[in-house]
Amino acid sequence: MPFEYLPIMAQNSAPKPPRVLASPSKPAWCEITNPVSASRVALLSSAALRLANQKPFIPREDSSYRRVPSDLAAGEIIIDHHSGIGRVPKQDPEIVFPRTALAELAKSGIVGSVAPFHFSFMGGLREHEKIENELAPAIARDLKEAQVDLALLVPY
Amino acid sequence: MIEASGIPTLVIGTAHDIMSKVTPPRAAFVDHPVGRTFGPPNDRPRNQAVLAKALAELPKFSRAGEIRDLGCNWSPDGSRDWEDELRAEMSHDR
Repeated sequence: MPFEYLPIMAQNSAPKPPRVLASPSKPAWCEITNPVSASRVALLSSAALRLANQKPFIPREDSSYRRVPSDLAAGEIIIDHHSGIGRVPKQDPEIVFPRTALAELAKSGIVGSVAPFHFSFMGGLREHEKIENELAPAIARDLKEAQVDLALLVPY
Repeated sequence: MIEASGIPTLVIGTAHDIMSKVTPPRAAFVDHPVGRTFGPPNDRPRNQAVLAKALAELPKFSRAGEIRDLGCNWSPDGSRDWEDELRAEMSHDR
């Protein structure tokens, strides 16, 4: 039986009402035409990640996003998300943002290539319309521009 | 939104109940504590193994909203003691 997160989240949000989980208003399905070994892949993380020289996220309703270089030499990753579960991933952000693992899989040919940037934003935002109308379209445009074939989303 | 723009997506997540409600187009379930999707800190082989498992699952998705279990256990012996520790951690998440 998988661990149940929703009852704890509801309890933690008090006295505010529990967060409402939202699906996209227009569900979509895009067929996978390229094998992973021929795909350019990007990571998307809701952990509010950035490099030290990038602008910090402001908890809790910051709806901006950061392009995080996939170049492993670009610098240390900082987690700005306010969640209480951050103690462990802050020791090693790779456990929520596996950019080294992805780079290794590209090196071994399992993944075609890695996009020049990954993307991160603040998870748990309450303004769903802003996410659907502003944040997600902006990231989708950047992904298209980078000719990404597959986006891997890792919720935080 | 990303999927609608012509880019396939795969969610790799630990919260089965949330993924069941949100119904992303494709979801891979990792039975690890939240915030440790790809394993414990500083375990690169395990990070890579979880990611490779998720990617290997991609061709098996046949319909929107499907959640595929990657069969990852947090503890080698299958123990679920981590659940109590996680509850305690999450109690600070206010």
